[in-house]
Amino acid sequence: MAAVEERRAVSAATVHLMVNGEAHAIPVQPQWTLLRVLQQELGLTGTKEFCGEGACGACTVIMEGRPVLSCMMLAIECGGKSIETIEGIARANHPLIEAYVKHSCMQCGFCTPGFVVTAKALLDRNPSPTDDEIKEAMVGNLCRCGTYPQHIKAIKEAAVVLRGGEGRE
Amino acid sequence: MSSADEKQRMQELFDNKRADKYPLQEFQSIGKRGVRRTDGLEKASGAAKYTLDVQLPGMLYGRFLTSPYPHAQIVSMDTSQAEKHPGVRAVLRHDDPDLQREESLGGHELNSVMPLPRVAHWQGEEVGAFVVADSEEIAEEALKLVKVAWEQRPFVLDVEKALEPGSPLANPEERPGGNLDTQGVYIEGHGDVEKGFAEADRIIEFKYSMGLNTWVGPERPCGVWRWNGDFAEVWVKQQRPHICKRAISTWFGGLPMNKIDLHCLYQGASFGGWSQMAWNLGGTYCAAVAAKRTGRPVKWVFNRREDFYGGEMDTGVFYFKVGAKLDGTITAVEERGVVENQTMVVFGIAKHFLENTKIPHVQGRTEGVWVNKGPNVPTRCEQNLNTYALDLVFNRVADELGLDPIDIALKNDGCEGHDLAWLNERKVELGFRARDSLRECIERGKAAIDWDNKRHPPGVKTLPNGRLHGMAFTWTHEWDDSAGTCEIGIYVERNDASVTILGCRADGGQNAETSYCQIAADELGFPVERIRFKHQDDAGFFTMTPDTSTNLTVNGWAVRHAARILKEKILGAAVAPRGVTQLGGFPPAFPRKRAQELDLKDGVIFEKADPSNRMTVADFVGPSGAQGPLMSPIGEPILAGKEGLAYPMRLTPPMFEQAYQIQRGTYLGARLRFCRQAHFMEVEVDPETGGVDITKVVTVNDVGKVINWEGCEGQAYGGAYMGAGRGRTEEVVHDGRTGIMLNGNLLNYKIPTLMDIGEIETILVETGMGYGPYGSVGIGEDVATVLPVLIGPAIHNATGVWVEGYPATPARVLKALGKA
Repeated sequence: MAAVEERRAVSAATVHLMVNGEAHAIPVQPQWTLLRVLQQELGLTGTKEFCGEGACGACTVIMEGRPVLSCMMLAIECGGKSIETIEGIARANHPLIEAYVKHSCMQCGFCTPGFVVTAKALLDRNPSPTDDEIKEAMVGNLCRCGTYPQHIKAIKEAAVVLRGGEGRE
Repeated sequence: MSSADEKQRMQELFDNKRADKYPLQEFQSIGKRGVRRTDGLEKASGAAKYTLDVQLPGMLYGRFLTSPYPHAQIVSMDTSQAEKHPGVRAVLRHDDPDLQREESLGGHELNSVMPLPRVAHWQGEEVGAFVVADSEEIAEEALKLVKVAWEQRPFVLDVEKALEPGSPLANPEERPGGNLDTQGVYIEGHGDVEKGFAEADRIIEFKYSMGLNTWVGPERPCGVWRWNGDFAEVWVKQQRPHICKRAISTWFGGLPMNKIDLHCLYQGASFGGWSQMAWNLGGTYCAAVAAKRTGRPVKWVFNRREDFYGGEMDTGVFYFKVGAKLDGTITAVEERGVVENQTMVVFGIAKHFLENTKIPHVQGRTEGVWVNKGPNVPTRCEQNLNTYALDLVFNRVADELGLDPIDIALKNDGCEGHDLAWLNERKVELGFRARDSLRECIERGKAAIDWDNKRHPPGVKTLPNGRLHGMAFTWTHEWDDSAGTCEIGIYVERNDASVTILGCRADGGQNAETSYCQIAADELGFPVERIRFKHQDDAGFFTMTPDTSTNLTVNGWAVRHAARILKEKILGAAVAPRGVTQLGGFPPAFPRKRAQELDLKDGVIFEKADPSNRMTVADFVGPSGAQGPLMSPIGEPILAGKEGLAYPMRLTPPMFEQAYQIQRGTYLGARLRFCRQAHFMEVEVDPETGGVDITKVVTVNDVGKVINWEGCEGQAYGGAYMGAGRGRTEEVVHDGRTGIMLNGNLLNYKIPTLMDIGEIETILVETGMGYGPYGSVGIGEDVATVLPVLIGPAIHNATGVWVEGYPATPARVLKALGKA
């Protein structure tokens, strides 16, 4: 009961988000996560909830250039932020998408968008990652189907394309 | 019919050459690398939709009350505060007049279960109340306002304690006489184990235990129900959409099948698991009742923790007595297993000694025991205990005799007590080439892991980093449980002659749809890119899903069969008049030719004797609508497999009696499996911490024939990760004092990460000795099922000691080392 009363005492607010280059003004409840807002208020269901507590990376989005776990962030605290989701990355035809298809990086596919987003953030800051750097960047993303070996291949290939396509690996 | 006639009939039935009467002369896409996944772009781009993603106008959200105690009944319940909570639209109670009847709510077949029980038999069980609200959060808040008076009951969590006299009863309603499931004692075997022990030079006795592991489906269990007038529209997160629809049709006094619109979107996998649970439609049932009352669609959802109740059916304690001669010939295996909460004990624990070896004396006894935890169901898959037994027995015998386990495997390979020579005769008898699958797999695997150079006696190799190096090997047969049924529709679209396959099946990510498109493409003579398998909506054709461990080996035949019929119909129509429309007549496309004179390749019909006489199928089928050529054979879905529609699963002849009889072991009383698999593991053990690093895994699977390379390899490396998790880190832990699950989350239940196996090499062997189309067998369940306890022999090779319990956590390794 106490929790309910406490929630009523806090007001809803409107947050301004720039999502995939589009401006949104969204009324949010204070307890709503960024993930919930993306999925249910904006219909961006490509961002997934797997563990719901910051352990799996399926809900990863890029905020102000950094990968963050949207299930661990309150939307009300994201006002003014610029956010990139899997939908934005796909719409921009990022080479990771084609590399992921080519290397069959998905099985059930539920965790795949989170991998792509994490990988995109990696390539944004490191255009030529080594295998170990890729592993370190991706180890927080869990895949129950065990697609792990393929991601390293796809990310390296996308990196080559981004660098201008020299010498396919 | 005389027995000689019967044998003749069975030989004809089983003969692979006859089953594959018109083998393809040339493969275009089958077995080729680089065939693009049909679901790849959707899944990579976040566009793929799962049931959890469904959002409908006005949709409400339903959540269940769960029991805080491992065994308790509701004495009284006050839901008045919850009902008044803003945003709550309905509260269903266990004493609701509409919920007093048992319904068919999930599992393998129709069953009878209460939708909303009053008594909980494990902590976390959904009981008492179902709250429906404007959002998941509001439903959750309202659940906290439900006041329940619980009467706690004594509980038991340990299977062996549950067998002791005076133990608390785990479920007095269903098993008032004790916790041993009287329906769950399963005995299998052949020969006389005492005779076998008497013939042995050595007797080896050991025990192992397996902790509870579970599926951890990335998409939480959920479902959606919407009433559209008297039509029911249902979204299921289930591997068996056809069983769901069949069950749903029995609800509310009977719903006509043709008024149920079923959607089975992409599945955030549950590996069997959730889809096998006896109550997995309980939420959908309650959602349907609530949707009727509120006039709004209702989605029910579990939270992450609730997905942890229930697990794989390999949990339990197992005792072995093995007899062996000094040369490695195993003379007898006796095994007793006490298994936890198995809903399906019939799969046994010693089956792979029977089906896979020449061991003359085998006895297995499985005792199913119930404790106050969730039910355990086949979760990739039901064969785990059989494969663990094979693994540990062969490696224990090798250790005792100081031999290489590979030599012992080759020495004992066979079937139902017969040796390999006998099995080879059966291969030839049934139309296969007699290849030594196990030896081929072993040679490939040994080379990949450098077995001959790196293998060493137990406990002798310390690496420069201070860790102990170990290697291990195991093997078994491949399995393709081909006793399924399937219906496939296939047709050519007007205008562009793309081809659509219809068949409602759950996609768990194996890339099966692409494989079916490859089969259809090659059989039809079409480019694979022009075939689509529309699998997410019920169009009246039910396929295996994967289901009953069956997928390609049944559906592949049906797709092939349907594609061949379609090709015949296209070529038949090509030489016949196509009718008259408002715009004129359409004479035969190939006048004065017979269908046999034509063929199809790359989507073009052509005359075999004069390939320049050609017409694309697109030109041939013409446009849709009034202008199109009326051409009755084309455009109609073609049925295949209708004769096999009836269930239950293993007792109904499927579309190909051959597969059914193989499954039952009709021919010579044996389930003749010809293809083998072999797996290798390399580890480093830290003797100070007990930590084990899996540095390399080599998987070798004789899949008979590869349809889709990337799909097969995906199942192999994916299975290796799951197997490694089960063997090393994954265990659901309950508090012994309170019965409460302690780690129902992904922080504390540790599934493998990208760094948990150093390197995986996946090798596929193609001997063509499978019963599936083109000689294929399944691979999806294999590696995750065979690999888990291989870590035990690997640790033994590193340290010289055997761990007794799995998963082989650091604590258990230290215990084995005498350090804890």
